[in-house]
Amino acid sequence: MYDFSYHRPTSLQDAVSLLAKQPDAKPMSGGMSLLPSMKLRLSKWTDVVDLAAIPDLSGIREEAGHIIIGARTRHVEVATSALLHAKLPALAELAEGIGDPLVRNRGTIGGSIANADPAADYPSSVVALDATIITTRREIAADAFFTGLFETALAHDELITAVRYKIPKRAAYMKFRHPASRYAIVGAFVAQMEGAVRVAITGAGPHVFRIAAYEDALTKTFSSAALDGVTPKLPSLNTDLHASADYRAHAVVEMVRRAVKAAAARKSI
Amino acid sequence: MAATTKTTGIGAALRRKEDLRLITGRGEFTDDFREAGQLYIYFLRSPHAHARIIKIDATEALALPGVKSVLTGKELLADGIKPLPHHVWALHPADIAMPNVDGSETFMAPHHAIAVDKARHVGEIVAMVVATSVALAKDAAELIHVEYDILPSVTNTWDTVKQDAAVVWDENGSNVCGDVETGSREDTNAAFAKAAHVARIETWVQRVTGVPMEPRAALAVFDEGTGRVTLTAGSGGSVRLKYDLAHMLGMKSEDVRIIMKDVGGNFGTRGMIYAEFCLVGWAARRLKTPVKWTAERSESFQSDYQARDLAVTAELALDKDGKFLAMRGSNIGNAGAHTSNFSPLQKGVEIMTSIYNIPTACFRARPVVSNTLPTRPYRSAGRPEVMFVMERLIDIAAREFGFDRVELRRKNLLHKEDLPFKNPFGMIYDNGDYHAVMEQVLELGDWTGFEARRAEAKARGKLRGIGVANYVDTATGVPRERAEITVRPDGQVDVIIGTISQGQGHETSFAQLATEFLHVPEDKVNIITGDTDVVKVGGGTHSGRGMRLASIVIWKASNEIIAKGKRIAALMAKADPAQVTFEKGHFHAAGQSLSLFDVARAASERNDLPDDLRAPLYAMSDETVNEAAFPYGAHVCEVEIDPALGTVEIARYSTVDDVGRAVNPMIIHGQTHGGIAQGVGQALMEEIVYDRQSGQLMTGSFMDYTMPRADNFPFFDAGFAEIPCTTHPLGIRPAGEGGTTPALGVTMNAVVDALRDFGVTHMDMPATPEKVWRAIHRKA
Ligand SMILES: Cc1cc2nc3c(=O)[nH]c(=O)nc-3n(C[C@H](O)[C@H](O)[C@H](O)COP(=O)(O)OP(=O)(O)OC[C@H]3O[C@@H](n4cnc5c(N)ncnc54)[C@H](O)[C@@H]3O)c2cc1C
Repeated sequence: MYDFSYHRPTSLQDAVSLLAKQPDAKPMSGGMSLLPSMKLRLSKWTDVVDLAAIPDLSGIREEAGHIIIGARTRHVEVATSALLHAKLPALAELAEGIGDPLVRNRGTIGGSIANADPAADYPSSVVALDATIITTRREIAADAFFTGLFETALAHDELITAVRYKIPKRAAYMKFRHPASRYAIVGAFVAQMEGAVRVAITGAGPHVFRIAAYEDALTKTFSSAALDGVTPKLPSLNTDLHASADYRAHAVVEMVRRAVKAAAARKSI
Repeated sequence: MAATTKTTGIGAALRRKEDLRLITGRGEFTDDFREAGQLYIYFLRSPHAHARIIKIDATEALALPGVKSVLTGKELLADGIKPLPHHVWALHPADIAMPNVDGSETFMAPHHAIAVDKARHVGEIVAMVVATSVALAKDAAELIHVEYDILPSVTNTWDTVKQDAAVVWDENGSNVCGDVETGSREDTNAAFAKAAHVARIETWVQRVTGVPMEPRAALAVFDEGTGRVTLTAGSGGSVRLKYDLAHMLGMKSEDVRIIMKDVGGNFGTRGMIYAEFCLVGWAARRLKTPVKWTAERSESFQSDYQARDLAVTAELALDKDGKFLAMRGSNIGNAGAHTSNFSPLQKGVEIMTSIYNIPTACFRARPVVSNTLPTRPYRSAGRPEVMFVMERLIDIAAREFGFDRVELRRKNLLHKEDLPFKNPFGMIYDNGDYHAVMEQVLELGDWTGFEARRAEAKARGKLRGIGVANYVDTATGVPRERAEITVRPDGQVDVIIGTISQGQGHETSFAQLATEFLHVPEDKVNIITGDTDVVKVGGGTHSGRGMRLASIVIWKASNEIIAKGKRIAALMAKADPAQVTFEKGHFHAAGQSLSLFDVARAASERNDLPDDLRAPLYAMSDETVNEAAFPYGAHVCEVEIDPALGTVEIARYSTVDDVGRAVNPMIIHGQTHGGIAQGVGQALMEEIVYDRQSGQLMTGSFMDYTMPRADNFPFFDAGFAEIPCTTHPLGIRPAGEGGTTPALGVTMNAVVDALRDFGVTHMDMPATPEKVWRAIHRKA
């Protein structure tokens, strides 16, 4: 780690102004992605702004037909939420599959989404459930949020405060784990929303993406058979030691199929 | 598990005494030690696989307040620090000699602790920074300017022997350090000429790394008054480290002290001195200040010795009935950037034919260097590799020539009447019942019920496969070991032993030996290791020698304690020493019953004893055991493959290892379970990858290097046989490596069997999901 100044503001306003003052200041939530990269000296920040002391940033509630999750809500809270198990079990299951208990006890949904790791799980839920990212400045639609590899629409001094999810009729997340890191080689989130089905894929490309051809087919008939004969148009996919692009392309098809089967087996809400 | 109801001594499945301490954070690992005023070390390592070092400028680094020193290869040579004392070949009398065909010497080059002329692998140390904190030392390292002349590199084992390969050691002119032929070429070729069938394999047993749970660390203190260096560090053994460190630092061995308390894993890759240990000691002496170094995990990936990495081409000749006639081939062992250790090549090639009755064989063996981390023996050094080759060859032959896999093994496995048996390379197998053990594991793994399970899996859309593999393991290693036993009047027995545990449970199993022989409860036995001021002789933990040798010296020392005790008891009871008996911890003499501790007390209190019986009641046994042991066994593995993604699940895994005599069955099972995980890890998951062009290490963290985890495995069906070993006075065979030795072959046999309908006859390890998926979908 390089030397840095540590701040622990008690209001969003203070946090934002600390960030605004320093071009190399960085917010910290659970620290599960930020700290390892700092420890490995892969990133260098003059100031770390810890969000832990800011009130009202965590919690899961239902409001006007939506689920609202505070940015500092930890993975373990999402995984064990009775509300989510009743209304949006796919999201609880996704959170249960992140990392290990230590990571789930500290890592947060806001941190994960802001980090925009191409292999992270949460981004698929944000896009598939047509969520809205609520920030200190504005509301950002899911489709406009993830802009590139580790890149989002957030400004330097803009903080996520909550994520507002639509409640789908049925949804499921299927993750094909990377054998070493256990992040997603391919994660497929399939959601049957009011009027349309959305399919979002994480792990396979530079950032989460949707598959229009699958969405159209599934909107017509919500069953895995509907995917037969449909050729998805995929963006250019990642290649690494454990999965080449063509293997990933195949896994995308397979994981969507499994997610559709799992979702179709659920009771519609 | 063999039925045993013993609750104490040899055969008792006791829980490990040390575990509560270890799992509640009360272990004392190297990093737990600190000294007032200690400085911290950070090593600047080469980012290049192969580069000439032109210039190192540390001016800026040294200007940082708190930076005490930056040392490079120049200072190393100026201070006369010697290269690492490698012995490339195993010198145990039972291992075969490895002379070059042309009579030349094996090529060996000095392995300096800091690169002096060239960096030969990514991660090789080019400078050592000493500062008041680790963070500061890292800051300073970033300010050291090293000018490199980057050279072409070679990492892949097959590439090393090519004409146009980059040469790692110019002094040798090529990467081939030796060219050895074992067995008889003439007889072998004659047998091949007559063969009805020849099965072939070309395979690379990939490189892996040891991944001990505790990363390496070292703390050195120099005492100006006595001139002694004390090094706290974990290794395979303390005594050898003392001599090796003294040698490198140019000191007398009595001026070096090693302290080694708990060690979190060894597996061989941690088995001997490392450059860092010497450098930490050197820095402490040079700066006259305690210095400390603790590796981070990413540093371990680029500085721990790596392992395996054997390229093999092999052929097996069979007659028309499936009788094995001969075997031949060529092994290339990749030693990495330094000529550090070729013994895995040697220990593999000497038992290529395993426990099959193969009359003749001939193998070429070449150790080579490359721009990769040096390799060392790793759990069962060299044997898992060759057992993999043999067991794969048998399955290939069975498939290709229409034999049943099990029948082919039954036909060729040595019978107990054939033993002792001299294999075609000259190794003499002791005793055992290879057939019985294989039949036992086939039963345990329900081999005959398998086809029903295959069909059931198929109905679920899964591909199920089964494999069987036999193995033999040559246990040699450092032949000398010592035990010193003191019976204390306060009711405790101290056992000083030269072999330290890195997690094998010695505190419990060695105590059980003392309990067996001296009849004192295990909790009264203190196993003392890990301080070379106390422990003078001992060979360390490797090559199945821990229990094998410790049992002999603890037994002999115990016998001497009893003999002395009888004489003391005789004096106490005024009886004839020849009439004194020792039973259940008591000496019976002339109607009196005296406990071992009564006698120990008498030895310290009475002044009428002859000199050799005066307190303490002590005995020492120091033995050199020149015989090898040949633990053997058989495993059955069953896998289930998801054809859609190519993922392989271990569905069932059964083992029968002949341990001769099980001292602690629970510890043996623990060793077997861990060993299986390491073997299956290699078969399905683990691989150290270097970029073939740049020589960069691509698997430098757990993000890319796949470690096997508990959820990758089912519960194991581990059994064992106890056929007493005829070359060990107590019948004990080694039990620490058998979990790994056949695991590579048996797992891959099961994977290939699961894929039989797709025309797959062989697959190189690891059988990763993508590789399996490609095989199923016939994609290159
Ligand atoms: C061993 C391990 C395994 C893991 N496995 C997985 C896995 O399987 N799947 C997975 O998805 N993830 C995995 N992760 C990542 C984990 O989920 C992290 O918790 C998550 O990515 C980041 O959340 P955090 O709260 O820890 O954020 P931090 O690490 O604190 O921050 C991450 C980034 O987000 C920014 N940030 C944080 N909060 C905000 C905010 N409110 N507004 C704006 N920016 C913000 C930070 O500045 C930083 O750039 C793993 C991590 C580890 C260490």
